[in-house]
This record gives sequence, C-alpha cells and structure tokens, in this order.
Amino acid sequence: MNNLKLFKRQTVNELSTFYSFLIGFIIAIIIGSIILLIQDKNPIDTFSLMLRLSVGSIKSLSSSLNKAIPLILAGLGISIINSVKLWNIGAEGQIFLGAIAVNFIYINTQFNSPSFHILVLLLAGFVGGSVCILIPAITKVVFGVNEIITTLLTNYIVFGVTIYLINGPWKDPKSLNFPAAAYVGEEVFLPTIFGKLSFGFLICILFTFLAHYLKNKSVFGFEMRIAGGSAMTAVYAGINAKQKAFIAMLIGGGFAGLAGAIELLSQTHRVSTGISQGFGYTAIIVAAITGMRPFGIFLVGSLFGALSIGGSVIQTIGVSTYIADIIQASTLFGALIIQFFFNYQIKRVDDD
Amino acid sequence: MKKYILEVKNISKSFGNVKALEDVNFYLQKGKIHGLLGENGAGKSSLMNILSGIYQPEKGSIFINDIKQKSLDPESASELGIGMVHQEFRLIESFSIKDNLTLSKANIYKDNFKEAYEKYCEIFSLSVSPEKLIAQLSVGEKQKIEIMKLIFKNSNIMLLDEPTAVLTPQETDQLRISLERLSEEDEKTIVLISHKLKEIRDFTEKVFVMKNGKMVAEDLSTVNVTDDNLVELMMGRIQKSIIDKSNKTGDTKLSVESIEYIDKVSNYKILEDINLEIKAGEILGIAGVSGNGQVELANIISGIESDYSGKIIINNKDVSQKGVKSRKKLNLSYIPENRLGVGLAPGVSVLDNSIVRDYFKTRLGPHLSRSKTETYLESLIKKFSIKAPNSKAEISTLSGGNMQKLLMGRELVSNPEVIIASQPTRGLDVNAVEAIHTLLVDQRDMGSAILLISEDLDELFKLSNRLHVMYEGKIVKSLDIDTADINNVGLAMAGVIE
Ligand SMILES: Nc1ncnc2c1ncn2[C@@H]1O[C@H](COP(=O)(O)OP(=O)(O)O)[C@@H](O)[C@H]1O
Ligand SMILES: [Mg+2]
Repeated sequence: MNNLKLFKRQTVNELSTFYSFLIGFIIAIIIGSIILLIQDKNPIDTFSLMLRLSVGSIKSLSSSLNKAIPLILAGLGISIINSVKLWNIGAEGQIFLGAIAVNFIYINTQFNSPSFHILVLLLAGFVGGSVCILIPAITKVVFGVNEIITTLLTNYIVFGVTIYLINGPWKDPKSLNFPAAAYVGEEVFLPTIFGKLSFGFLICILFTFLAHYLKNKSVFGFEMRIAGGSAMTAVYAGINAKQKAFIAMLIGGGFAGLAGAIELLSQTHRVSTGISQGFGYTAIIVAAITGMRPFGIFLVGSLFGALSIGGSVIQTIGVSTYIADIIQASTLFGALIIQFFFNYQIKRVDDD
Repeated sequence: MKKYILEVKNISKSFGNVKALEDVNFYLQKGKIHGLLGENGAGKSSLMNILSGIYQPEKGSIFINDIKQKSLDPESASELGIGMVHQEFRLIESFSIKDNLTLSKANIYKDNFKEAYEKYCEIFSLSVSPEKLIAQLSVGEKQKIEIMKLIFKNSNIMLLDEPTAVLTPQETDQLRISLERLSEEDEKTIVLISHKLKEIRDFTEKVFVMKNGKMVAEDLSTVNVTDDNLVELMMGRIQKSIIDKSNKTGDTKLSVESIEYIDKVSNYKILEDINLEIKAGEILGIAGVSGNGQVELANIISGIESDYSGKIIINNKDVSQKGVKSRKKLNLSYIPENRLGVGLAPGVSVLDNSIVRDYFKTRLGPHLSRSKTETYLESLIKKFSIKAPNSKAEISTLSGGNMQKLLMGRELVSNPEVIIASQPTRGLDVNAVEAIHTLLVDQRDMGSAILLISEDLDELFKLSNRLHVMYEGKIVKSLDIDTADINNVGLAMAGVIE
C-alpha cells in the first residue's frame, strides 16, 4: 500500500518566512479581488485607490505609519514573549491599561519640564502593560495555568475597567453623552516628525532594534530560547526557566502598554474605548506572519497600518472596510500554509 | 487438548533501519506465568505491542487457540482476550477507579461491579473506595488498577510490561501472590517482562530470553535453568578489555560521600549510602540496568538535584550546596542519558545548543556576539567531526550520532576535570560508538576523571579502570577491571549477589 507521509526538511530556506508572507499576501489579494468582484466592484480600481489613499501623499503615509505604531509595538511584545514559547493574546488589554496608567499618572502628578513629563508618561504606559500581564505571568509560573486563556481574559477585565472609568470617576462632563476621560493637556502631546507622523514612530524604530537585540543578540534571549525549547535543558544548563518566562512576559506586556501610551499621547489624547481598534489582536497576526522576527514585524506592521487606512477610506466608494481585515487575516492563513510546505516535505512511502 | 493458547511464528518488525524483531517465536500455555527476559532495547515491548494489535508485523503469523489471525488491531486483540499493561500507565487520572475499570465496552462486570471489585481487591490486597480518583492513588495502587482493568475486560492473556519497575520490594512480593492466584483460580495466562532474575525465578514457570531482536531461548523451565545461564543468554559473551589501561592516574578529582536520596512523591529511597572516588586519568564504570538510581546519582553530582543528603567534593572543594553553574566553573561536565530533551533543547538551533555549557563565560558572553558563537561552533564541528547542515538548523534534524558528538564536543572542549557520561552510546551505530569511545579515552589520557554510567557491559569492560554495580539504589559490588568476572557483574546487575 502506498501512503503519503510528512518529513521535516533538514534545511529550510532562510528567506522562507518572507516568501511565505509574499505568497500569502498575493493569495489574500486574490481572495479580496474575488469578494470585490462578487460585489460588482472593480478590484484594480479599488486597490489602486486604497494604495493612493494610504501611501500616496505625505499626509496619508503619515496616517498609515501612525496606525502601524501600535501594531508594531504590540507585535514586538508578542514576539518577545514567544521566545519562551508562550502566547500573549492579551496585547489589547495591555494597550488599554497602558493608556489608563498614563492618564492616572497624568492626573496625579505635576512636572515642570514637558519633555520629562512625556518621558514619565511613556514609562507609565510601559509599566501599565506589564501590570496587565502580571497576573497571567504569576499564574503561569507558579501554577502552570495556560497563559493563552488568562491573557485573553485580562482583555475583557481591562475593557470593563476602562468602561467603568470613563463612565464613572474619569468621565469628562464636557464630552456630553460620549463616555470618555478628559483630554490631557497639549503640553504632553507627542510632537510630530513630518506631516502627521507621530514621534512615536521613532520610538517604534528604537524598540524594534531593542527587541531584535534582546531576542537575538543578548544572553537573555539565548536563555529564553533554551527555556522555551525544553524546561529540562534549562535546568541542566543552570537557567531559571520560570524566571525567564516571567521577565519575558513583563517586558512583552510593557511593549504593548507603551503602544497604549503613544496612542493616547499622539492620537486620542484621552482615554476612551477608541484607544485601540483591535490593534492587540491584529498584532498577533503581524507577529505570527513574520515568524516572530522584529524587523519583519516592523515591515508587516507598517503594511498592515497602510491597509487599514486604505480600508477605511474606500468606504467612500461604497466598499466595506472589512476588505482590509479579510486581506490581513487571509495573508496569515496563506502564509502559514506556505510556511508549512517550506518546513515539511510530502513523500510517497510504502506502508509499514 | 490444544497445546498453546497463543502461538507466534517467525514474526519480524523493523522501525526504519532498526530491526526490533527478527524471526521471533513465542508461545504461551494456558494458565501459566511466563517470563520474558532481555536487556533494554532487546525488543520485548515491541513483541507485546504486536500481540496486543498496536504494531503490525511485517512477517510471520499469530495463532490464538490454534486459529490463525489474519491481522490484529487493538480492538480485535482485545476481543480475543489479549490485554496489556504498558510500561507507562494508561489510566485516566481525572476519572475514578470505577470509571477506569468499566470504561471498556468489553466490560463483563456491568451488573455486578461491586462484588467483582471486592473479590479482586481481596486478591490484590487493595483497600480503596472505587469512587477514588486515579490521581489520588500511589504508584503501586495504580499498577494494581491497571492489571485489574484487564480482568474487567475479560483478558485471559495478560501481558505485563515491566510491572515491577515502579514497585517497592514489598509491593513486588504482593504482586507475585496476586498473579499466582490469578493464574490458578482464574486460569489467566500471564507474561511478565522483567530485568530481574530473582523475579523471573520467583514468579514464572517458563522463561523466554531475547537479545537484539532475536529470541535466543524459548520455553525454558525456570526451575531447570541457572542464573549464570540466563545472564549469558541475555548479555551474550563479552570480550574483555582491549584498551590500554596502564595510563598514569593522579589526585582524586571527584568524591561522593554517603549520598542518600528519597523520592518526594513516593517517599521511596532511590539512593542509599553511595560512596565513590575517581582520580584524574581514571574511568569508573557504573554498571546497572537503567532505573536503579543512576539518573538520580548523575543529577545529584552535576547539581541538577539539590534535595539530597551527603557530600559531593570536586577538586577538593565541597560543592554540596552549590548549583549547576558553580560546578561547571570547577570544570565539571555532564553528558546526560537523555540526549534530546535534557542535554539538547529540541526546537532550538544547532548554534544555541552548542553553547549551552559555556555561554555564561566571558569568552562568549555577556553580549553573546554572533561571530564569537559561530566561531565556537565551527571549532566544535571541526574538532569533533560533526555533520550539521548549518548553524541555524534545528537540532533534531541531526542524526543521533551527530547530536551526541555535538553534545560530547560541547562538554569536552574545555578539557573538563570531571566528566559524568550517562549512557553515552545508547542507540548509536557502530561508527558513532567507536568515535565516542575514542573521545572518552582521549579525555582520560588528558587527565579527566570520568564516571561512565552504562548498561552495556561490553562498553564498561572496554573503557573502565574500575567498576561499581548499582542495584536498587545501592552499590552492591565494586571490582577492579583486571580481576572482574563478567558473569558476576551480570548477575549483580540482575539482583543476584552472593
Ligand atoms: N515506535 C518505535 N519507533 C522506532 N523505534 C522503535 C519503536 N519502538 C521500539 N523501537 C526500537 O526497537 C528496539 C526494541 O525496542 P523495545 O521493544 O522497546 O525493547 P525493550 O522493550 O526490550 O526494551 C529498540 O532499538 C527501539 O529503539
Ligand atoms: Mg520495553
């Protein structure tokens, strides 16, 4: 009897993740085109309009990159946590708690130097993200509770806290019926680099290098990989695997929290439910597509930022914004399938 | 009257290149207890798995009650009354005893569970409520439930794969009484796999011996065969020392003083009063069937296990309270028996795995420069002739021999003063074994003190200067290699100590 069997390839092309992404993206564009055709829309027109409105001018390019900031930062956080083979599904909550921490510090402190003030607030965002993942990190390390579930649950809790704050103690009377906290003062707005592009983008570049260093060049990154590969090998090597997992989770949560801080200080300027539009979830897709590589996350995050800007403007010609979501999700789907064929080989074998 | 309830003729089975079974014959008489003896890897479990329909043989035939069976799958084997207790428990931990016993659709005690349970509890000297969860039972109790499960699904042929490996001597004795009653009162046909001659002798009427996938002795009457005979069948004839052992030895590098270690879960004494000393330039062999405390001893000496009593002295420094890293700094190396999973981390690159021992030393760290680590790996690859596709390849894509060479190279490259090598050649092909042996002997000549833990008497006699035999957590015999008698060592490994 003949059978098809899977064999793991001994060597995998170095650029395989990039090729998978590319092919996945092409597949996604084809799927998007089919859906547009069904709706009697011309795909080429639609996509070129999207392209023009997302990167065609300084103004649109800067909006796209602004959108990319939270995707990249949260994606980097997810990739750091994945070094110990753990999944952070809680970036969305961490973004919110980052923003909440910023507002909390803003309300309760006073600084004379605005730049120092901004620095403190950014730090508060980072700490807020870390605090958000603290309980999942503790339950993971101490009791072995599955972090996918606990980090997911924290999203709901933090969202609830946000709703409470902006309807209760922090509710801005001036915002009338729209629940939101009061605006922060202009002195703590993040400056822009060009067009509307936030200073946050520079922070993003800096943190991409930082994540790359941490994951790939530092002793800590090595220890995380060993701990993630085999807990027994970690013990054997004298590496405290639980400690590494704990620290990785706090750092990763902090990255997402920082994203929340930047959103608040450069986009929304106040705490509201609009702090994140699912960035924490899209960031999972971004991180997964790139195989958890920081520079890849930077590039794909930027692309996805442009896609969602493009997606939101094509509403004007009567196309649903969901086309952008469909393309993002299909890219991941296609890329994962293609990556599978890079990693494995299918052979015909005699049955045993 | 038919002679055999089950008969196996010329069965063969391979896994890849490994011939697990070659033309094996095996036959069982109704109502008797049969022993199946053989070293680790001899093929005992594979044979049992074929009888219970889990593996399909490539060749050969199986008769049950003189009827030829075309092909057995787990379901049909179970219907024919064949049941197996595996080396690892297969109970559902979160279910009660009752649920586990009645899970099978072949359950014959649907209506009278209570009486049946009481009857067999008496036979197994078990006194726990059937509502208790499996997770709350001791290892010995779980073992009893495993065997009882076979009775409940009406298995008349009971295949027990090393059931005593997890039991204390008292529990083993109890098991013997239970099995004897099952064979007499219920006419159960039983196969008992074991490494221990005493158990084979105490439990069984008939004995079969396997070696390297072949059945080297069939249907011997246990009362007529001698221990010497069985050991020789099981281990084969062994050539004595071929390596020059006249090298110079130096000061004592490792001493281990009165180590005691008690397993937290079972409260069972795993190691008792272990003392040993190794000098520079000396290889001390530890012979023993695996599972007699060797892994625990190696873990204690290397610093992985810290909850023991006794003293470990490396190079005149008492390191009993020290962790893994400080022992490594005193230049101790450990080649663990579990290559992939302990020594090497699966899912991680060759490069990362190559620096597991030395990464925290300034030579490579603290920034872990890529070029330094790459150079380090390249030197290992060259020095130890390792074949690896590239530094980023995942470690488990390497062959077993190359994995072991990488692990050995990593542990030996800094010329360690003390080396613990646990089963360093298990599962490797002849060429790789030879390469690993050469590495160890070279290291000995460079003045390392080496503790060699192995089950392979060939290897131990070839490499060691002295030999200790471990059995049930104790050193039961210490010999000088020149005067050591191979049969005596084999007997001591199987628990026969005169
Ligand atoms: N599922 C399997 N895949 C590959 N090799 C196997 C498998 N099961 C057993 N082997 C190999 O077959 C040989 C016999 O193994 P086994 O039957 O488990 O021996 P024993 O039970 O006597 O220790 C060993 O070399 C083992 O590595
Ligand atoms: Mg076995």
